[in-house]
Amino acid sequence: MMRDGALRGKRRSGEISGTTRALLYIVLIAFTVLTIYPLIWLTISSFKTTQEFQLNKLGLPIHWTLINYPIAWQIGNFGTLFMNSLFYTTASTLAVVFLSLAAGFAFAKIRSRATPLLHGSFVIGILLTIQSLMIPLFLVASVTRLVDTRLGVLIPYVGMGLPLGIYLCTEYIKGFPDAIVESARLEGAGYLKIYAAIIVPMAKPVFTTVAVLNVAGVWNEFMLVNMLVSKDALRSLPVGIFRFSGALASDYGKQFAALMIGLIPMIIFFLFFRNQITKGVSAGAVK
Amino acid sequence: MNQEMTLNKEKWLKVKGKKFWTEERRAYLMLVTPAALLYYAVMAFPFLFSLVLSFTNYTSGELVTTPIRFIGLKHYLDMLADPYFWISLTNNFYIVFISVFGQIPLGFVIAYILHRKHVKMTGFFQTMIYFPTIISTIVVGILWQSFFSPYGPLTEIIQRIIPAWENNLSVDPKTAMIPVLLAVLWMYTGNYLIIFLANLQKIDPEVMEASKIDGASEGQVLRYIVLPALSGVIVTCAILAISGSLNSFGLIFAMTQGNPARRTSVLSLYMYDNAFRGAPDYGLANAISIFMVLMSFAMILITKAVEKKFGGRE
Repeated sequence: MMRDGALRGKRRSGEISGTTRALLYIVLIAFTVLTIYPLIWLTISSFKTTQEFQLNKLGLPIHWTLINYPIAWQIGNFGTLFMNSLFYTTASTLAVVFLSLAAGFAFAKIRSRATPLLHGSFVIGILLTIQSLMIPLFLVASVTRLVDTRLGVLIPYVGMGLPLGIYLCTEYIKGFPDAIVESARLEGAGYLKIYAAIIVPMAKPVFTTVAVLNVAGVWNEFMLVNMLVSKDALRSLPVGIFRFSGALASDYGKQFAALMIGLIPMIIFFLFFRNQITKGVSAGAVK
Repeated sequence: MNQEMTLNKEKWLKVKGKKFWTEERRAYLMLVTPAALLYYAVMAFPFLFSLVLSFTNYTSGELVTTPIRFIGLKHYLDMLADPYFWISLTNNFYIVFISVFGQIPLGFVIAYILHRKHVKMTGFFQTMIYFPTIISTIVVGILWQSFFSPYGPLTEIIQRIIPAWENNLSVDPKTAMIPVLLAVLWMYTGNYLIIFLANLQKIDPEVMEASKIDGASEGQVLRYIVLPALSGVIVTCAILAISGSLNSFGLIFAMTQGNPARRTSVLSLYMYDNAFRGAPDYGLANAISIFMVLMSFAMILITKAVEKKFGGRE
């Protein structure tokens, strides 16, 4: 048993003993449990009534109940909030993806003296946190009468998504051979045609990464939409969940159901796009 | 880089001589302008606007009709004289501290274990530890607030071990930051895990194998091969942690709203409070905003310097 372990270790990458391996498993399992236990606790608690939760905060529910979900959904008006989030996320993601690809294409394949300055200013935006500009953004939105409009929410979302999108797209398109653009030029294609017919289809991997990162960012965004919108009809899901939990702070069952309503779309999204998300994070974070 | 630029310039000038360049330039403008306009409208213009306002006596009201006068650094001095500014800044530093000495080492250790494949199910562990990062900060904030509250499960768990324990964590101003910092640690460690995993994959495995055959221990490989190769990444992560600490609004807003007695405030929340809670003071809020932007810029400059020093990847 020991020998087998030692041999396997050697064949892989290092001679580590069975004890060390066991220790590593313990560390990883402990960490995993700490990471997901609060989420499991939340899931279980959302199936308890508030009374049952107060008597039994840790265990499994004696009577599993689904009732919290429809009630929370109705009181919190989550249908509207969900549709608003879907709209903000879809519209801003489409804009970010196509604008990033367009600008990335120009930066990577069209020569211009303006590129170092323009591209550099976008790259700065990756580290420039939008939260530091929230109040100025709010004041500008009030002056331009964009507060309480969908456009007023969309414009900042697109502007915020562009720096990372443009950085990733430029790097990716730089990797295409110049000959592709040149031969299309020789055949008489304009740059916009090249963008639509060649670049967009070829850039599908980076396209997906930018889209996925943007969806995760916008879907979860809270501060901006909370500030720029005061009408219920325009609010997004995180704002709705925050207000719901404030109003029903001691109604635990419904509050947990509301949190689950906020969590479930992200779980589904994450299960589908796990690899793109992690790829994007590692590509975007370290330049 | 420089060589490439001069080359580009030469080509550009050559092209410029022909008629063809106008079309190229037009295409460039069409492709870049929409993105640039939107980006500058959201990032650059508000910054300039706020910079100007921060030097004026503007504090609230309709911007178009309010008479505005230049008053110099008053808002900045007010900010520096405000104890809540220092509380918020200190809390930002705590978040930086927990990131640099908590998230980054933890992320590195887990990434290293997973990368060396000493264990099975690496994909599973990676997914589970990364997952909290993508949940809405609002959901995470409310979840942890319920978890740590006196009526929450934490009280019950600890009371099973120490029956007399009373949960004052989030009520006592001295300890109120602890739950926040634990939530921050919980939420973002996965990010560093992913960053380290990606960069570990860039290290040539043959170098590691060769040193193993030469008799190096696991610890020596780590110390003499892996850590030097990742030094630039570690510094970049530290900078990400600092700029990320400026982004902690949502989590803290949902978890404590700065309470008790604004002891858990951070700069972004301090800015928000001055603009939207009580009598609005946009002048002060603008000064805070400029302070935060300058902090970000300092980080960017440091990143560039670090890149130059430790760069050379790719």
